[in-house]
Amino acid sequence: MELEERARDSADNCIACTSCVAVCPVTKANPDYRGPKLVGPAHNRMHFSDESDYEDSLKLCSNCKNCDITCPNGVSVATLNMLERAKYYKAHPEKHTQADQMLSHNFQMADMLKSIPFGRTCANIGMSIGEAMGMMGAMGIAPQRKSPRFATKYFREMYKEIKQPEGLTKEVLFFPGCFIDVNDPEVGVAFVKVMNANGYKVLMDDRFKCCGSPLVVGGYLDEARSHADNNVAIINEYAAKNIPVIACCTSCSLMLKAEYTELFAQEEMAQAAKNVYDAFEFLTILAEKGELKKVHVSSDKKFIYHAPCHLRAQGMGMPAVDLLKEIGVNIDSADAGCCGMSGSYGFHKENYETSMKIGSELFDKINASGAHKVVCDCGTCREQIKHGTNAKTTHPIQVLAKAYEQ
Amino acid sequence: MSKSDVVVIGNGFAGLMSALVSADQGKKVTLLSYGAGTFPLNSGVIDVLGYDDSGKAVANPAQAVSAVADEHPYKKIGTQALEESVKFFQDVVAAEGFPYVGSLNEQQWLVTGVGTLKPSCLVPESMQGSKCFEASEIVLVGIKGLKDYYVDMVAENLAKELGNDKKYTVVTVDPHYQGARDLTTKDVAAWMDTEAGYADFVSQVKGNAGAGKVILVPQILGLKGNVVYKKIVAELGCPVVETTAMPPSVNGLRLRDVLLSALKKKGITVIENAKAEEAVIEGSKAVAIKAGGEVRLQTYNADKFIVATGGFYSGGITMRDFGEAKEVVFGLPVECDCVEERWVNKQLFSDKKQTFAKTGVRVDATLRGVNESGNVVLENVYVAGRNLSGYDFCFEHSGNGVALASAYKAAKA
Ligand SMILES: Cc1cc2nc3c(=O)[nH]c(=O)nc-3n(C[C@H](O)[C@H](O)[C@H](O)COP(=O)(O)OP(=O)(O)OC[C@H]3O[C@@H](n4cnc5c(N)ncnc54)[C@H](O)[C@@H]3O)c2cc1C
Ligand code: SF4
Ligand code: SF4
Repeated sequence: MELEERARDSADNCIACTSCVAVCPVTKANPDYRGPKLVGPAHNRMHFSDESDYEDSLKLCSNCKNCDITCPNGVSVATLNMLERAKYYKAHPEKHTQADQMLSHNFQMADMLKSIPFGRTCANIGMSIGEAMGMMGAMGIAPQRKSPRFATKYFREMYKEIKQPEGLTKEVLFFPGCFIDVNDPEVGVAFVKVMNANGYKVLMDDRFKCCGSPLVVGGYLDEARSHADNNVAIINEYAAKNIPVIACCTSCSLMLKAEYTELFAQEEMAQAAKNVYDAFEFLTILAEKGELKKVHVSSDKKFIYHAPCHLRAQGMGMPAVDLLKEIGVNIDSADAGCCGMSGSYGFHKENYETSMKIGSELFDKINASGAHKVVCDCGTCREQIKHGTNAKTTHPIQVLAKAYEQ
Repeated sequence: MSKSDVVVIGNGFAGLMSALVSADQGKKVTLLSYGAGTFPLNSGVIDVLGYDDSGKAVANPAQAVSAVADEHPYKKIGTQALEESVKFFQDVVAAEGFPYVGSLNEQQWLVTGVGTLKPSCLVPESMQGSKCFEASEIVLVGIKGLKDYYVDMVAENLAKELGNDKKYTVVTVDPHYQGARDLTTKDVAAWMDTEAGYADFVSQVKGNAGAGKVILVPQILGLKGNVVYKKIVAELGCPVVETTAMPPSVNGLRLRDVLLSALKKKGITVIENAKAEEAVIEGSKAVAIKAGGEVRLQTYNADKFIVATGGFYSGGITMRDFGEAKEVVFGLPVECDCVEERWVNKQLFSDKKQTFAKTGVRVDATLRGVNESGNVVLENVYVAGRNLSGYDFCFEHSGNGVALASAYKAAKA
């Protein structure tokens, strides 16, 4: 059922204060971008007679949400941008590039490779060769980057081999998200360890699809809607059984908690959102109830933390940093704004320069910090950090899992 | 989230200063932020009192403040707290390498973005308009493609203010801008932060610089504190003055960044996008605030709360039905002269204060909300900034001054 309050109507709350323009990282890095106020709220309010009319620079928005974080009037600026973008591509499907197609549909590629013997190994070799021969650029993908490699075993396969302790009475359902599932499954393994140590059995449901974030950014809104409907139905099924759904990727959790409802304004989505938690949000709730496993870390290894914009947009501070500090980890937040990657954004050849310019402040802070590792909840932020610095990266759940092991 | 000593609600000038003063008292502070405060709008200058009740220009803010009406926040705050707050602020920004000049005993003069003069009390080094007074020649720098800065008009107006015995020269700098959108001062400031941009600018202006001159520029001297200002003054060998600006105001953003950096050093936790929605009250005390969070509110416990949510202008006070104004988070009593005929003074730029602008939370001398009989409503909840009743910041030019002094007093209490 359609909700009465729709994010798409929030453009009317805009008072043109320009706070969003002041903080938009793309506006700062790229003089061709006309900025959130103009392409979002103002453009939306013009109600062009021709549905397909388009502000050209709108394609430069990365959906990083810094505008939303800063808007004092509750305008869902980034979502307005994404809705406008979708409208345009619906009218002009031919404008989608090969890179849009690939970067928005990585989940299809991942599934296909899994079904072919040695598919992933071959694909990884293929990527190495492709990168070496400069084929990425021809496909519209930033040739400077190393594409994330497919894990030889996805998390969904590893999960089946994990022996969870007998007799765990409490359950949570894990939403791994594409990056953890196919590129960085060790994060999922660490999550299971942490939850088990706290008395929770971790469930998986193979019906889950990609959260749809890359589809939205690519302008494939109808496909994103079908993913949303699929995932929301599953989440609500588990809600009925009082089983919470947890994500370790902050872009996935933002999508499930907020963006579905903003984009599509359906009551079931708002309902499902109540049953979704970011991993450290959930662990913090356990800690507040005195139910979190106690552990103390006595190592002076220094960590630096990067807060993903999609976590900052969730309005709950930095639960991972607070929790890790609490157990004695020497960790400090870099506070250096957006890393510039924004999921698939920075992989586009034409966004590469903007992406690296945005990230430079963070790279400088990391390089100057002398930290042993960079901790960050988002997989593509970690890719960007590895690309822009020589630092090693890790997910906070891996730090906690390690603390539990000692 | 473990319990804090103090939770500050609101991240405008009043909120950031409340947090800093509280932390300076050794308190564990959490700041709930939503939006970016008025920083991108105001020029990051601290007006204490520009005009008195009769609309007369104030020459000595300290003196004028001691003569304000009883309802005025300054009366409740007291001159001692005001003086201490000014010192505190100047120490904080100086420690961050971004000193503000001025004192409570005189006004500083700003050149506005249209070339008029206006008083303020504390200003960054780059905005000391009074440097123009002694100069024999003002070199006005325009920027090709810059939106909303008409250098010829600035020159014309400034000549009216400062007299025709000075020489006014206009120079237009070409930033070689290739982008597709209108150029803002923020874009030009970012260009000045690059080595190439800075060198390009200097090469186009240097020929006009020299002894006895002042270079007047829009707000473009870099985004980071006064780094570019110091460099360029040394290089050009004469004073350089920035005007006030259209939003997004570069100096407002500089001040915000500098204060946020000070907050971080003090270990203050800032929660972004965390709109305070409801208070948990036990007896005559608040114990927690529920705020922000997509989907579910997070709870922030504390012993003390400071509400710096910006009043009517920033959503701290709302009025659903006429006459039913209320402070949003704690429901503190709001006083206003809610008679429709008196509410708005139809002459927008009139010589009278606007009734609606004076609407705010009724507080006592401790800056806690009080009911009509003058009794404190919530013992541990203090009010700061534009939430306060009894003044029209726009009419009297006292916005950031009241924010600063009330923040200081609320935090010290
Ligand atoms: C255009 C303009 C120009 C000005 N120029 C000057 C000038 O040159 N000099 C001067 O001294 N003064 C100036 N002022 C006045 C000055 O900016 C303000 O009086 C002063 O800064 C107010 O500070 P504040 O912190 O009380 O409020 P604000 O700056 O409004 O900050 C309040 C903050 O609280 C947030 N908030 C609101 N509700 C909640 C909630 N429920 N939970 C969490 N956060 C919340 C708001 O989003 C906002 O970020 C100007 C004002 C305007 C509008
Ligand atoms: S989502 Fe990010 S890039 Fe897009 S307008 Fe907002 S701040 Fe700018
Ligand atoms: S911050 Fe919000 S209100 Fe201000 S210009 Fe942007 S969208 Fe409009």
